[in-house]
This record gives sequence, C-alpha cells and structure tokens, in this order.
Amino acid sequence: MKNKIRILHMYPDILDLYGDSGNMEVIEYRCGKRKIGCEIDIHTIGSSTDFSRYDLIYIGGGADLEQQLLADDLAKHSSQIRSAYERGSFFLAICGGYQLMGRYYKDSNGKKISGLGLFDYYTEASENKSERCIGNIIIEAELDGEKTKVIGFENHGGRTYGVKSPFGTVLLGNGNSFRDRFEGYFEKNVIATYLHGPLLSKNPKVADYIISRCIGRESGDSAELVPLDDSLENKCREVLLKRFMKT
Amino acid sequence: MFLLNFLTILFGKLMVRVLRMMGKNAGNLPGLALWTLNKKCLKAFRPDCPIIAVTGTNGKTSVTNFLSYIFSKSGCKNIITNYEGNNLDTGICSLLLNYCTMTGKIHADYLVLEVDESHVPVIFSQLKLETLIVLNFFRDQLDRNGEVETLILKVKKFCETFDGNLILNGDDPNVARLGLANPGNKKVKYFSVERYKYATETLYEAGEGRFCPVCGHALEYDYYQYSHIGKFRCPKCGYGNYPVYARFTGIDPDKRTFTADGGKYTTVCSSIYYMYNLCAVYSAAKLYGIDKEIIRKAFRSFRVNNGRLESFRYKNSELILNLAKNPVGANMTVRIMNECPGKKELLFVLNDNTADGLDVSWIWDINFSIFNNVSKVVASGTRAYDIAVRIKCSGYDASKIKVRPDLDDAVKELFSGEGKKFAIANYTAVQPARAALNRFIGGVRDEK
Repeated sequence: MKNKIRILHMYPDILDLYGDSGNMEVIEYRCGKRKIGCEIDIHTIGSSTDFSRYDLIYIGGGADLEQQLLADDLAKHSSQIRSAYERGSFFLAICGGYQLMGRYYKDSNGKKISGLGLFDYYTEASENKSERCIGNIIIEAELDGEKTKVIGFENHGGRTYGVKSPFGTVLLGNGNSFRDRFEGYFEKNVIATYLHGPLLSKNPKVADYIISRCIGRESGDSAELVPLDDSLENKCREVLLKRFMKT
Repeated sequence: MFLLNFLTILFGKLMVRVLRMMGKNAGNLPGLALWTLNKKCLKAFRPDCPIIAVTGTNGKTSVTNFLSYIFSKSGCKNIITNYEGNNLDTGICSLLLNYCTMTGKIHADYLVLEVDESHVPVIFSQLKLETLIVLNFFRDQLDRNGEVETLILKVKKFCETFDGNLILNGDDPNVARLGLANPGNKKVKYFSVERYKYATETLYEAGEGRFCPVCGHALEYDYYQYSHIGKFRCPKCGYGNYPVYARFTGIDPDKRTFTADGGKYTTVCSSIYYMYNLCAVYSAAKLYGIDKEIIRKAFRSFRVNNGRLESFRYKNSELILNLAKNPVGANMTVRIMNECPGKKELLFVLNDNTADGLDVSWIWDINFSIFNNVSKVVASGTRAYDIAVRIKCSGYDASKIKVRPDLDDAVKELFSGEGKKFAIANYTAVQPARAALNRFIGGVRDEK
C-alpha cells in the first residue's frame, strides 16, 4: 500500500476565497498524524504540469472575474486533466472549482465560460446579482456505505443543473440551486460541492474518505486508516449541528 | 427644498425626543428612519466647519479617536466625532441629528468622522468633505461586503471628482492608486513608514495587492511590513514612485520610538500597524498645522482603548486585547505576540453574529503556524470550537487548547496561570470580552 499521496492544488494564488486553502492544511495535518507523506504541488496560469502524477487534484473557488482569468489556462490542459480523472485521480472541487468541472458557467452578466466538461452538469447565475444562496448548510452524504452529515457554508450566485449523482441531500440551506433537495456532485473519486468552511475542517470523515481513496488508489478501493483523536472536531460538529438544526 | 430639509430635521428631532421620553437611547434608529424616508436627508445638515473623514478596512476607530484628541488639545473645544464607530450612512445621520439646530445648522470646529469604505460616496455626495484619509484595503467580511476590488472601485469613483485633501497610505498599492483617480487634484498626500526590523522579503500573511492597478503587471516588493503593506513598485510602468508627505523613520519597536520631520517621538504601542495608524494621524495633524508638541504628547500618552491594543492588568499578568475582524487584524496580533519575548498565552474569542458575518472561514487565513513560545490557547465565543480546530490543524499541540465557550470561564482559565497574555476578539466579541475581563479583574476600571 502507498504511504504517500501526491496532491495538485490548482490556482491557489487566484482561487483562494473563504479560507478554502485550509482544506489542504487539513489533509496535510491528517496525513502527518498518520505518518503518511503528503506532497503538495501548485498549478497556476502558465505552469507546465504533469497532471498524471497526482493522486488528488484540488481546485477551490473564486469570484467571476477570477474564473474568467483562468478559464483559458484550464482549457489548455483539458485533455490532460481528463486523462488524470480517467486514471483514477481523486478530484475535490469547491464552489467555483465545482462549476468549472461542468459544461459551462454563465455569470450574472450573461457571460458564458466553458468548463472542462468532465461532468454533464452546467451552472447559470441569476442576472440579479444580489440573488445568492448564502448561509450555513448541512447535507447528508453517503461515503463508503455510511451516512454522514456534512456541515459547511455556501455563498454562490450560480445554480447548478443537470447533476446526475449529487454529493448529498440538503437538510438545511439551499444546495445546487435555491431550496434544492440536492447539493454537489459525487462519484467514488469525485467530490464537487458548494460547501466552504473550509469543507474538510468541519468534516473529518470527508477528509479521511479522500485520503483513504488516494492511498487505496492502486487497489481501486478505500484503504483502512488509523483513527485519530477527533474530539475537538466532533464537539465542534455537535455544537453546530444542534444550533443550526434548531433554526 | 428648504421646506423638505426643515421637515426632515423636524421629524428626526421629534423622533429622538419621543424615544428619549420612552426612556430609550435613540441610537441608530432616527438616522435609519430618516434615511428610509429620504435618501438625500444628509443634505439637510449644514455644518459650518471642515469635515475630515477616515476610511479603510482596519484602524478607522483608532485614527478618528486620535485625531479628535489632538484637535481638542490644540484649542478646539467643539469637535463632533463618532467615537464608537457608528460609521454607516444611518449612524452618521443620527450623529448629526443630535448636534444640529432646527434649520440643520451644525456649529463645530471640526467634524471628524470614521466612515465605512462602502459609504464614503453616498455620504460625501451630500456633505462637503475637506479631507479624506484612506488607511488600507484588506479582505473583510466577504459575505457582507463583496470583494475588496468592488469596494476599492467604489471609493476610487468618488475620488475621481473629489478635489479636497486626500491623505493616502503610500505603502498600500490598493490605497495609493486612489491618488491617480483625479489627475487634477493637487492636494494628494502620501504617507509612508520606513522598513522596520521585522519586515520580510516575501509575503508573510494573506495579501491583496498583487498586480499593478495601472498596467496590470505583477508588482515587485523591496519588502513587506505586514500583509501586502510595504515598498512596492511596478517594474513595467513605474507605479509606486511618488513624493512622500510624511514619513516615519528609525522605527524602534523595543524603545517604542520613531522620527518624523527630524523630530523624535515616543509611543504607547509599537506594532507596525499601530505605526501606520499614527502616520495617518501625523499627516493630517501636519496638514492642519497642529503644534508638534501637542502631537508628541498625544503619541506618548493617548490610548484609544476600547479593545484596540487595550491593556489589562491582573496581579503579575498583563493582557493585551485587540479587535480583529479579518485575517490581517488577527495576523497582526499574532505577530505582536510573537515579537514579545518569553512564554505567553492566547485567548481567542470568535462570534458569528450578523454583524460579524455568519461565515467564520476567514480564520483559516490566519497564520497560526508561526506561534512562538505560546504555552496555552483558550478558545471562546459562539464558534469557540471552530477556532480550536483551526489552531490544532496548524500543528499546535491540541492538549494545550482549552475550549471555554462562556467568556467568564474563558477569562478565568486564562488567568489560572501567570505571565503575559494576549486576547483576540472579533467584532461583536470585543465588548463582551472587555466586560468579562473587567468583571474578573474586579472593580470598575478608569475609562481613558
């Protein structure tokens, strides 16, 4: 079994809203505690990157302007990214990153940006800029056959349609569009979601799911991980779930 | 028009009176009501004195308090200011309503106002502004304010037609660019602080100004003082080269001294962002011809307190409390803590009330990995566990983190050991934190 994961963090200098880079810090922390090596490389505009090297490809969220900035660069590497996906790299995509993995994103000015088209869904923002899904959100997801509540914060103007396999069902908040039943997009090796927080800081089970998929990549299955002391994380979840579900 | 203005003020005054008769502190409500009825209600006020406004992400309250203090010491008895940071259109409307006559006249020596960045254009399209001081632009409560760039563009648009004094932080590329907004304005003044000993060659904390606002090329820095504040220039178009009106040199954080225009000054605090605040104060005081001795005395003794680098004492321990609403503010306190020798303990109070922004993800942009000799962390507030998890994931020993959501418990835990303490509290947490500290220390402390 592998004892090291290679991570590619895409556009951290451009897509770094809402502490999303914290997701990398959580992965690094949880790997470190288990003596699993963790190598994080960066891809940004103009980098020449060998996408096939990576077990985990991570892309965060940004504002409309920033998404336009990097759309061309992303398109250039489209076939390489697709082949990494086909060979089983794990994809974690948050908010803007989630949108860019789909067919297209139409922003609030009606401007259309092509996505990578890895998945069939597409996103359209309301032309009314103040119409956004903002607030705490809780969804229920199923990871390795186990149901778990995922806690985060959403703030998006785009509404994503045509999702065939969502990440979870919405218990509180909006999800893929206003008052949607579903949130995000999921495959065994893909988590694409609107949840900031950062996502993995509130949801150690999601972090461990990703790590175990990366470690078990060669066998094509999730690997067993040594349990960690998550008492602070669990207490944090307990307090937030209790408070948010009451409102 | 006259009649409308008269009715606006009459209505506002009546409202204040009725609220008082009901035993209520009028607060923001009259301003809010006036603003809802008439978006041009500020036009009804006719101040007979210069208006000085202070804006920017961090430091508004401190600079405004300092300036009011300095003006009051220079023989001006009558200064109207929003000490408490009621800095939105409605808050300023309420403030002026308290001081005006029935015809809207406001008699004072100076109006010194801190104004929220996004409210500068709307307020000063109605009131004649003499001097605008802009301190810095950082990311702050994105879910409420939108992006930083949107905010800068709003203020820039205002500056395009503004021909009054414009005092700008010349070491913040996001602020200095405002000086180019109106090429016809000859009253643009830049202030700057010379490189201090903890300045770095590379960006140390999250920053905003990466690209030249004039030509879009990546900016180059000789050094960073903190966040993106530092000596920058554009290698392509030369942006960043401007005459400096006021410069602090020879910053000595240990002796708490610096030099300006050949004079030596001693200060109460010495952190680098405090220096930038003072430099803004100094520039405005210099512009208004305030006697250097008055400035010197104010720098040596005046404290804003109110949770801004406020110091508390309990037995043998000293505690410094600082407000932090955004990563830059918190990074600054962590930096001050690290620059302080010996062991120390930190209290972090994090709330997620509406005024704070419901989203607390900004704590992940705070650089905790640089903790130097921190022997205990106490986490408190409505999101106490979030900050605990954040600090733990930065690599800090989880067994040294104590979570005490209740503030009184948290303060008690903090003072269970001796030594130097620091406290960081966000917007709605800072006043409750002060109250809890004062309760614990016992008795009522002297205010200012």
